[in-house]
Amino acid sequence: MDKIRLLLTVMTIAIVVVPIVGMVLSHQGNLLGLIVPPEINEVADDLMGGDGDNGPGLEPPTMVGEPQYDEATGTFSVSFQFTNRFPLDITIKSLTGNIECAEHRFLLGNASLSNPVSIDAGETGTLTVVGAWTEDARGHFEADHAGEEFIDVVLVDFAVDISGIQIQLDQSQIEQNMQVPNPAYEG
Amino acid sequence: MFAKINWFGFAGGVTTIVMLAVSMVYPWWQLTVGDDLMTINASPVNTNFGFVGTAFTIPLIWALNVVALLTLVLSGVAMIIYSFMPNRSFSKPLLDFGYKKPLFTLLFFVIGLLVTTIILQAVLNFNLPLMGSTTNTLPIPFASGVTITVLLSAGFQWSFWLAAVAAGLCIAGRLYHKKVAVQKPTITITAKPQVEKPIPVTSK
Repeated sequence: MDKIRLLLTVMTIAIVVVPIVGMVLSHQGNLLGLIVPPEINEVADDLMGGDGDNGPGLEPPTMVGEPQYDEATGTFSVSFQFTNRFPLDITIKSLTGNIECAEHRFLLGNASLSNPVSIDAGETGTLTVVGAWTEDARGHFEADHAGEEFIDVVLVDFAVDISGIQIQLDQSQIEQNMQVPNPAYEG
Repeated sequence: MFAKINWFGFAGGVTTIVMLAVSMVYPWWQLTVGDDLMTINASPVNTNFGFVGTAFTIPLIWALNVVALLTLVLSGVAMIIYSFMPNRSFSKPLLDFGYKKPLFTLLFFVIGLLVTTIILQAVLNFNLPLMGSTTNTLPIPFASGVTITVLLSAGFQWSFWLAAVAAGLCIAGRLYHKKVAVQKPTITITAKPQVEKPIPVTSK
């Protein structure tokens, strides 16, 4: 009976000690690796623009094509291309922001994503942002940009929901520059 | 051959082994951040993480998982052997060794989760749900100038409840041991051997 107890105790000690000591010995040159596996560093490199396998990291979306303006509704739309460098499929559920005149920092209106966009891993998708001008904006266009067909604006204070993670950027953070058609232009 | 079997102990041992096999695939507790952008699949025998599509394990936790796996295998085998021979001299040590392990594993797992959530709440003011969903704003040191709000969904999976059943059956096996391990009364009779007296010969 005592022999059985002794045997079970010895087996328990061996079961506890061998895997832990083995793992520590296999990481004796890099003890931090016991807690931080190399995969975490690789993912961080990919996200932060390091030399990961998936390219140069996150890139801001690039504007494609000409902005469209609908006089009847007083709205405009701008398309962007965004490459998903994450190694998984993502869905951009929403994107909202304020539009300011790049030259005068005058609030012109707001913009939002027309429809949620799903982009597979490594693929490029097109985001269509639609915006509407405020009444004050029309006055600004006529007073300060009457002779310009397109106006440089910036999208500020924007919030984006990517696959359930909502990111809200302060004004001091990223500003997305774009050109929009001037509703007051009569060229 | 097996006059008495501790069926609760047997069920506990078998359920422990089945639970181990299940837990290798199905986690006891799962946390999802966003729409699968980050996942934590936790169980005492297999804990792994997923971060933006990359799955990984933490080596130290992996070693602890191996410890728990081997301990529970030994516990299940000990319970099964004991169950068929509850009256042998080695049975009680096997039972004592086997019946506690699933319960302790379950308790340590739940306590570990609770302690983790309390520490995250106290140190980082980060509310990690044990069950259900909640939205959380990431602590400022990680998101200066940027507000990141994440949806967290967590819950215990069916494999956790299977582990609870295994622990319950093992305890039932321990309680039932009193009924199956009744010692046969042994009566020792010591009597002085009688020496037959020679029959006296009488002569008529």
